[in-house]
Amino acid sequence: MKKSLFALLVAVLAFAAAGTGGASTRSSQAAGAALINCGKTRSIGLMAPITGPAASIGTLQVKWAQFYVTRYNRAHRTKFKLVKEDTQLGGPNGNAEALKGAQALKGNGKVLGVVGPAGSNEVKGVTSTLKGGGLGFVSGSATNTTLTTDGTRTGYFFRTVPPDAQQSKSVSRFIVSNLKYKKVYIIDDQEAYSTGLSDEVEAQLKAAGVTTTRDGVSQQQSDFSALIAKIPRDTQLVYIPWQLAPKAQAFGQQLRQAGKASIKLMGSDGLFAPEFESLSGVYDSFFPVQPTDATIKAYMASHGGNGDFFGAPSYVAAQVVGRAIDKACKDGRASRAEVRRWIAKTKLKKTLLGLPVSFTKGGDIKGGVFGIYQSKNGKFARIA
Amino acid sequence: MNWSLFFDLTVSGLTLGSLYALIALGYSMVYGILKLLNFAHGDVYMIGAFMGWFALHGLGGPISPDVGAWIVTALMFLAAMAGCGVLGVVIERFAYRPLRDAPRIAPLISALGVSFFLQNSALLLFGAAFRDYDSFDLIGVRTRHVGNVYLATPQILTVIGAIVLMIALTLVVARTTVGKAMRATSFDREAAAMMGIDVDRVISFTFFIGSALAGAAGVMFGLVFGQIYHYMGFIAGLKGFTAAVIGGIGSIPGAMLGGLAVGLLESYATGYLPQGSTFQNLYVFAVLIAVILVRPSGLLGRAAIQKV
Repeated sequence: MKKSLFALLVAVLAFAAAGTGGASTRSSQAAGAALINCGKTRSIGLMAPITGPAASIGTLQVKWAQFYVTRYNRAHRTKFKLVKEDTQLGGPNGNAEALKGAQALKGNGKVLGVVGPAGSNEVKGVTSTLKGGGLGFVSGSATNTTLTTDGTRTGYFFRTVPPDAQQSKSVSRFIVSNLKYKKVYIIDDQEAYSTGLSDEVEAQLKAAGVTTTRDGVSQQQSDFSALIAKIPRDTQLVYIPWQLAPKAQAFGQQLRQAGKASIKLMGSDGLFAPEFESLSGVYDSFFPVQPTDATIKAYMASHGGNGDFFGAPSYVAAQVVGRAIDKACKDGRASRAEVRRWIAKTKLKKTLLGLPVSFTKGGDIKGGVFGIYQSKNGKFARIA
Repeated sequence: MNWSLFFDLTVSGLTLGSLYALIALGYSMVYGILKLLNFAHGDVYMIGAFMGWFALHGLGGPISPDVGAWIVTALMFLAAMAGCGVLGVVIERFAYRPLRDAPRIAPLISALGVSFFLQNSALLLFGAAFRDYDSFDLIGVRTRHVGNVYLATPQILTVIGAIVLMIALTLVVARTTVGKAMRATSFDREAAAMMGIDVDRVISFTFFIGSALAGAAGVMFGLVFGQIYHYMGFIAGLKGFTAAVIGGIGSIPGAMLGGLAVGLLESYATGYLPQGSTFQNLYVFAVLIAVILVRPSGLLGRAAIQKV
């Protein structure tokens, strides 16, 4: 009797799970397939850290996305409108703000595609919500390799920056071949982006015969003095692939305070921001941008000469979503599923990244490598 | 034994511990007098940090201050201490005094409410972006070394400043009339009132002093660690409370000892234990639990005598 009851219970649970999974797939398909009238003004969702610890890079993404919209609206009869959601990346609420923003965009029937979010951990956090709403989303900065290889967001998530699998190769090659360093200390900030990139760089450096030590900090931490005390004075480079530039700046200052200014500091694309840039001599890896591109020149002309390069891939992300909406809205009506299909079929021959943009099946941009920069006189200049 | 590492960790621990001690003093003083855990105290510390920042920028900023850098620094401390002192008095008057005769849970809830109010007010008024104290430009960060021990200017300032403030507090409590009134009120509030002590005024003064110390700690944090932000008070407040409990809640020497102990524990955990930096909070709160289990009144606290 007990065995029969148990078997019945398992069967009921299995049925419920299958039903739920099916219902979830059906609901996301249903949500994505719903047709809307495009109208004259079309909405693009934008998820970025507008406030919070990562605001210095988030506002750049907003500026560049807005620049795309302004230029498009000037040249076309139909218009785009950005629906902004503040994710407060690195804030005390974790991904809660990003999730709220994703839910708002999902519920806004006029939004046909999304630019963002910025952080890899945010992408993981909002995937089921945006998928549930049938929304395609294109990030201009989330680089964690697994985002496009774990299969959980294929056909929904795309990015206009190379993955960390590329970044880690550029970083390791630079440390081994250019700097020829043999002792490296790696510190991650416990978030998905940072730990993933740290794992890859550590493995590649070890394979190249470099002695590495690994440690971690919390994004909420401000006092790094004890951790810095642990770093041996004969360490040649400290690699900090963090998301929050203010924290990296504090780390660099405390490193100097501890009398270890001779140890070089290197960040990753998440630190390509004014705070980290202010530390003279630091290295950083960053996405490809073409400074001589006409669009970049036009941006700099209208923004006081500042390139704000961290936000440039978000311009391309907005461009991808915008073009997909245009194509889907050709007959005056479009669905989120249509927009997603057009995003996947993107073929931009020339972009401000200096390379054409099309996507792999997983959502990665084809081609593209990371450059290495060094801060000189308070500005990053490409050196490799 | 790597003595260089040990000394570096000790300096780091004493610096951080000094901040925790200043915060813990506020907790202990208020608990001693009112038997109230003032959970808003960590956010008063955060407000102090912002007051110091605004004072700095009101006086011309770190790069070209209107007066000498050390005068600016002193004025930052004064502004933060005075401002936070007044804030503490206001909080006591409007959030705690009306609940003095209510069940103990009521002022505790009120304290939590004040904490969230201060945090979100700071977010609304100051924004969520980090603000930089720019100590390098303001007071310069010369790193002196004695043998293998490295000391930066803000660290020296923090430790010495905390010691001076703690000595001043001890003298006020032990040698002044108002200090005697504070001790009497903490011993037996009703009896103190019957003896003619203005209990309300004594309690307000206690809040003023405790909050002023938190304000000073906020400025020190900014000078040492560079950045301030609206939620920095949360974890610092928890650590300060932990320090007060470990030292003996209600005991002023206990709060000082507890603060230094927590700072050193964090530092040594980071330096010597596996994944120490990542799990430093785990180690600190584990010690808190252990101390409470073994010695519930804390290291220097006295077991409460229950009248039957």
